[in-house]
Amino acid sequence: MDQNLDQIKTNYLTKINLVVTDSELEKFRIEIFGRNGLINDLFSKIKDIAPENKKQYGADLNQLKTELEQALNNKSVTKTSKITSEKNTNSIFTLPKIGHLHPVTQTERQLNEVFKKLGFSVYNSPEIVTDEFNFTRLNVPTNHPARDMQDSIYIKEPEYLLRTQTSAIEAYLLAQKNKDLPLRAAFPGSTFRNEKVNRSNHFVFHQYQAVVVDKNITMKDLIGTMDLMFKTLYGPEVVVRYRCKYYPEVEPGVGPDMQCFNCHGKGCPLCKYAGWIEMGGSGMIHPKVLEAAGIDSKIWSGFAFGMGLDRWTMAQKNIKDIRTLMGGNLAYKPNEL
Amino acid sequence: MKLILSHLQKFLPDLKVEPQQLRDDITMIGHFINFFEIIDNETVFDLDIKVNRGDCLGYYGIAQDLSVFYNLPLQNLVKDISINSKEVLSIQVTTDNVKRVMSVKISDLKNTTSPQWLQTFLKCHNVNSINTLVDLTNYIMFLYGIPNHAFDTTKSGDNLIWEMNSKFKEFISLDGSKLNIDKNILMINNPDKALSLSFWGGEACAIDLNTTETIIELAIYDRTTVRKNSQQLKSVTEASVRLEKDLDPELIPIAFNHLTNLILDNCGGQITSQVFDHYPMKLNSPQIEFDFQKPSLVSGIEIPTSFSIDVFTRLKCLIKDNIITPPSIRKDITIEADLVEEVVRFWGYQKIPIDQPISFKEVGDITPVEIYLIDQLKDQLINLGYDEVLTWPLVSTATDPKTVITTQNSINTEVIYLRQSLIPSLKQQLDQYSRFKLNATQFFEIGKIFFQKGDDYIEKNALAIFCDDSNKLKQDLDKLNLKADIIDQNFTEIIIDNLPKIKNYTPKVLNQPAYELTSQIIILDANITLDHQEDPINLIKKYSQIIGPEILWEMIITDVYHDSKNNKYRYTFRVSYFNTDDKTAKETHLQAFDLK
Repeated sequence: MDQNLDQIKTNYLTKINLVVTDSELEKFRIEIFGRNGLINDLFSKIKDIAPENKKQYGADLNQLKTELEQALNNKSVTKTSKITSEKNTNSIFTLPKIGHLHPVTQTERQLNEVFKKLGFSVYNSPEIVTDEFNFTRLNVPTNHPARDMQDSIYIKEPEYLLRTQTSAIEAYLLAQKNKDLPLRAAFPGSTFRNEKVNRSNHFVFHQYQAVVVDKNITMKDLIGTMDLMFKTLYGPEVVVRYRCKYYPEVEPGVGPDMQCFNCHGKGCPLCKYAGWIEMGGSGMIHPKVLEAAGIDSKIWSGFAFGMGLDRWTMAQKNIKDIRTLMGGNLAYKPNEL
Repeated sequence: MKLILSHLQKFLPDLKVEPQQLRDDITMIGHFINFFEIIDNETVFDLDIKVNRGDCLGYYGIAQDLSVFYNLPLQNLVKDISINSKEVLSIQVTTDNVKRVMSVKISDLKNTTSPQWLQTFLKCHNVNSINTLVDLTNYIMFLYGIPNHAFDTTKSGDNLIWEMNSKFKEFISLDGSKLNIDKNILMINNPDKALSLSFWGGEACAIDLNTTETIIELAIYDRTTVRKNSQQLKSVTEASVRLEKDLDPELIPIAFNHLTNLILDNCGGQITSQVFDHYPMKLNSPQIEFDFQKPSLVSGIEIPTSFSIDVFTRLKCLIKDNIITPPSIRKDITIEADLVEEVVRFWGYQKIPIDQPISFKEVGDITPVEIYLIDQLKDQLINLGYDEVLTWPLVSTATDPKTVITTQNSINTEVIYLRQSLIPSLKQQLDQYSRFKLNATQFFEIGKIFFQKGDDYIEKNALAIFCDDSNKLKQDLDKLNLKADIIDQNFTEIIIDNLPKIKNYTPKVLNQPAYELTSQIIILDANITLDHQEDPINLIKKYSQIIGPEILWEMIITDVYHDSKNNKYRYTFRVSYFNTDDKTAKETHLQAFDLK
């Protein structure tokens, strides 16, 4: 269709669609089909069209006439008209049909929101790491079981491997930003362990870690922050205890356990009859970790905590099989999980 | 590790705590207990001992912790042994990997089946009872965490040699397993036979009911050597688990005397040699400068100095002014932070408030720009109707064999390559959807892809999209201001890190944050009648503001009716509520449209 006619058609179809009264509709009918209306006006301009284009112009004009006629006839404001908020593209209530974020991303974003409100940045680093950043800088002893070939996926043993923990991002971050203190950062990330894939284990899984380095940071800061995070994810009624727990990269170490949501602390197969479920690890950053990054541990202190993001997501969304999260059936409407 | 309450109480006779309470207390001070159970009238706990606390792989170490926690005296169960023999054992130690070994010969003993208490003890530890002599060696290992061994000297002879294996090719363990051994294996041999590994006894000198003479030994080795031997031989034993930890050589004499006394008490016999004690290098405990304010400064709560002193005293630390020397059994205490943890854990983590998170502080945003970009892209794609998926970063096929990164030891042998493109994984995802008969799918993934260039490993952030309508895919890419790097049928891939001017990149579709629907939608209709015509958009704005965005999901005018006779205009609204319950939605709805 002629470009000009096409533009005219679009304009009038939009206007007709927005008509809500009979009188308004009648006004358009006259404007378009009246003696001095649009269509007659356009027909009268045929004489000005180049001879070789006249045939096509006439056909286009007839098509325009037919479509506008149909639009006017179909529009009957005394029957039903549908006007939705979607027509107002500036409205904050414009919500087109949307897809879904992956469940892990949803949990990740919930956590990011908690930490952004506390002044944290979000950070990441390479997934292929050296032994130094995955272990040595994190105070993991040379003969620690975590360094075993059975536990790590190596690219070039013993130097290069796929990071086994998001603490490797912490080591990278502290090395990069040791002159930009204080700092606060949270980092969701993929991690890898040499596990057979089954219902509860996967060689790739997701962790979430947060780190603070500042002056006068305390365990009270750490535990209060973790508790805020638990309550944000699981609601104000969640019961969490904080106990002594060992991790090489922290001292003192803190282990958060959540009261089993299945048995409420009485003990059941889900919690291995402990009544509690271990939810990750945390603690005050070990002085050796700070020193390894060139940070004076006599001036600066900090806390770090990490947790399995997949486990949190599965608990939150009642997903039973970890394989569902990675390349599985992700037609995950919430009620189908 | 298993822990029987009645045997723990031998070290702590004054321990009168209900099992439930004991379970919680031990857990809170650092040794997680899953559960306790009753086995043959014994209360048995199941502990998770962390890798830094080798001392707690025995009852003695746990009892020490609890004696500090409950402030109870720790009972000494051992009396000295008296030795009259002048015979010197002809033992040789030819390797530095032996940190300490103590040994003695006992003759004229009578070995029998074990007494009931000992059988029950081992049963609770999931260990089979063999005979009294063997069972007592295991009992002492569980009690002190120090592995030990008894040789039948009629089979082994007296000339024991601790050495790195030099001449034997095969070792047969107590259970009859044949293991191929080489020069890396730490052994106890005699000149003619391979007798024992450092962590597993051998068939060649096994104790049986006919044994009348034995050489017992308790030893601690270089733990890395034990660990490597255990891995090399693919054998893990109760002894190897302990010997891989940092054990205390100073504990050997206590356990040694206890074992010797138990053998003499239960099997009779007499000591027929001098005690052999090879202890070439005694390591002193570190002297740690300690700031007594530190427990309060680190914990964030007030902990009195007197409490710190009390804890160190009960731990049997040496205290000289502000210099603290931990006992040799506590190999995990090496710096001030370790001492702080001791004070805080015994003071009680549960005394630290849980309702005071770190307060907001502006410290500068160090978020890399690509993280913002990825978040934006995800939002836009969600708005365009795409689902996000995550697939395996390890794949079975190399897209480009010249640049692929191969893992060395992936246990999942089907998938050994790091992916170079997201598209093959999305194709598998599409197969999954097809299997579930889901039509009209469109989805995307944002993740890392990997390449090798020379000695460098390169990672890039990539976006791959699938849409079953290729025209829509093209249109959507245009909307997102993206140009595809790869197009493969209905799949497309974009290297995010290669996008031009990444710091200034802004997708075209703006101000439409992605919403995730997590609660039910409640749909209610309302009619309002006006005596004049009104712009529907203004009506939507007006009532949207009355209801508010917190619970309003969508508002539509579904019908406008002009009653020309009475000159009235009727507007029919359909309102969808979310983040609320039926009752509240209904009340809000009636109030907003004045329908009460």
